[in-house]
Amino acid sequence: MQLLLSSVCMALTSAVIGNAYYQKQQFYPAVVYITKSNASMAVIYVQFFVIVFMFGKLLRKIFLGTLRAAEFEHLLERFWYALTETCLAFTVFRDDFNPRFVALFTVLLFLKSFHWLAEERVDFMERSPVLGWLFHIRVGSLLTMLGILDYVLLIHAYNSTLVRGPTVQLVFGFEYAILLTVIASTAIKYVLHAAEMRTDTPWENKAVFLLYTELVIGLIKVVLYILFVVIMAKIYALPMFVFRPMFFTIRNFRKALNDVIMSRRAIRNMNTLYPDATPEELRQSDNICIICREDMINHSKKLPCGHIFHTTCLRSWFQRQQTCPTCRLNILRTPAVNSTAMPRAGDEAAVAAAAAGNAAPAAAGAQPAGGVPAPTPAAGVDVNQAGANGPLAGGQPMPPSFADLFGDATGLPNLGGLSVSPPPVMPMLSPFMMPPQFGYFSSPPTIPLDLTKFTDEELRAMEGHQREHIEQRLRLLQNINLMLDSAGVMMSQYQTLVSRLQLTAVPPPASAAAPSLVEGAASGPVAYDKPSTSASAMAQLEAHQVTPTVGVPPLPAEKVTIEDLGADEDDVPSTVTEAASLPNSDADFEENSSELGELRKRRLKFLEERNRFANEGRPAE
Amino acid sequence: MAGSALRRLMAEYKQLTLDPPEGIVAGPISEDNFFEWEALIAGPEGTCFEGGVFPARLVFPPDYPLSPPKMKFTCDMFHPNIFADGRVCISILHAPGDDPMGYELSAERWSPVQSVEKILLSVVSMLAEPNDESGANVDAAIMWRERREEFNAIARRLVRKTLGLPP
Repeated sequence: MQLLLSSVCMALTSAVIGNAYYQKQQFYPAVVYITKSNASMAVIYVQFFVIVFMFGKLLRKIFLGTLRAAEFEHLLERFWYALTETCLAFTVFRDDFNPRFVALFTVLLFLKSFHWLAEERVDFMERSPVLGWLFHIRVGSLLTMLGILDYVLLIHAYNSTLVRGPTVQLVFGFEYAILLTVIASTAIKYVLHAAEMRTDTPWENKAVFLLYTELVIGLIKVVLYILFVVIMAKIYALPMFVFRPMFFTIRNFRKALNDVIMSRRAIRNMNTLYPDATPEELRQSDNICIICREDMINHSKKLPCGHIFHTTCLRSWFQRQQTCPTCRLNILRTPAVNSTAMPRAGDEAAVAAAAAGNAAPAAAGAQPAGGVPAPTPAAGVDVNQAGANGPLAGGQPMPPSFADLFGDATGLPNLGGLSVSPPPVMPMLSPFMMPPQFGYFSSPPTIPLDLTKFTDEELRAMEGHQREHIEQRLRLLQNINLMLDSAGVMMSQYQTLVSRLQLTAVPPPASAAAPSLVEGAASGPVAYDKPSTSASAMAQLEAHQVTPTVGVPPLPAEKVTIEDLGADEDDVPSTVTEAASLPNSDADFEENSSELGELRKRRLKFLEERNRFANEGRPAE
Repeated sequence: MAGSALRRLMAEYKQLTLDPPEGIVAGPISEDNFFEWEALIAGPEGTCFEGGVFPARLVFPPDYPLSPPKMKFTCDMFHPNIFADGRVCISILHAPGDDPMGYELSAERWSPVQSVEKILLSVVSMLAEPNDESGANVDAAIMWRERREEFNAIARRLVRKTLGLPP
């Protein structure tokens, strides 16, 4: 088709030239004849465009090779827009409309299309699996050539404007300035992509560089456009033909600005709020970042909801949305409550309220019947204290997400919000170390076991119908709730410990394994107990009968379970104080880290069994 | 090192090839371009689409998996949640910001933890259970709701068509 058209055109041109020469017989009269005849000139113009087109094809072959379908499509689309804009521009400069003017616009359009193609090519780099040296040579030379051309034409336009005052060269100067910025950003992108390709590891800061490049280039473009519109409006008329590109430029700039702000915020959150995932946590999870599906070796972060991702993946996602990709917890509105960022002992009330904020919806989700005494009031408090703690549960869809978490992470229905980080973490940690997630174990609020032991003052504080009285009451309930949750977590730790020990001790069934086993079991309490508080928590547990399911069984039953599981030796002292060879058991834990998946499965099975047992009731123990 | 989108798509392709879910085949149309995939979806058993094999095309954005891909059936489809031109309208394919139908929960929208496999499984379940409230194809939605027999007949005809059988 193209071939046919160009050959027809060729034939027409030769006919016109032949005709003129035949009529005039001499060169100069022939030229005059052709320029005087409109029909001949039309043919010559068409021929001129065909030649430009063919030249373009040639250059494309040299610098770009074959175009991909998408590239071609985009080129066509942009070309038509540019063409209409050029026609609009003609209307402004209708006074000096002449062939030279058209030729200049043709050159501009011609160069523009190559800029677009170069841009597309460089964008394609990121998607392409393999790129040969030919690609780099082509892109490199194309970018250099376009850059030089833009610069030369820009200087030319500038000089001509200086000499002859504002003419149509103003438009060209401006257009080439814009094209120069395009080339600059394309070149920067090219360098960044090429640099990334040279390394074998993903380059984390590339996205940041790209973002800032976009921002700066966008800013320059916006300034250029505005300047141009102002100047044009002063000298000629409002330049309608730049409105569309200007609109898109401003939109892109706004987006880039927004992205930068969002990503800064995300980075700040990332650096301050969320802890790095520890190697233990990584080993415990399946160690794949679910965003990029690659191994997490280092640089990963743990969100408040316990999900772990690559820092870079999270950062780019947070530019879009500030939610956890897995459970959609809104991370901006959630103070980092249940994980390491928990304040130490300081502000008890805030801690309690914050924890309750997490625990209450979770508890409500898991136990609609209301096993925990205070879920509803706690949730209410949440709203009340929103001023103090930020909108905790206000607008965030927590229950489903937490319910999900429970479903797959713990297998225990009523552990409350505190166990959001899956319990299997625990065996991996040295029992001596206070695991960070449970940092606030050091000081759960203390509650008098007997309500009669409240001082008069405290009692008065809780009487009455004033707001502060109600708050006081609610705070008490929250404290209770918090302690229940902590007790739940502790129980889950015991359980994991026990199941783990059971597993390691399976082959040599009775005597040999038993001591270390119980020592290990004992280590749990020693490590995690701050005696008074946990004791009171236990007491609260029993007092409130919060254990309809066996997720949080009372302590004695648990002890018996330990013995049941390990061996038949009832005489092994299972007192809390005996923690003889702990380092050994600790080492055991570390050794067996590879069996985690298996362990977890067994653990879940074990828990199921326990549940069944509990439902049948085992009061004997 | 290629871009992260490409690596992720390669990983998904590998995973789908090694462990394909039942009734779904998917992969890049050409190994040169991992951003356009073709998928074949078997009509779920026990539904009016049973027995059909429906080809579809998935186009991934450069910033996948941060943005969802677009999916379009390349055969004739008549379904409440598929536009007349074959575009699939399900919430998992919509970025959380935009809500073309104005009813979707953000919880069921696209997020980077979704995958091609999950999309295709959602499409299979969409074939089995149309959501007549979203109504990408209103005719189909109304027919599905009110004249189920007629709808089934059309679906069966489409099934035969995808298999190259006479209607």
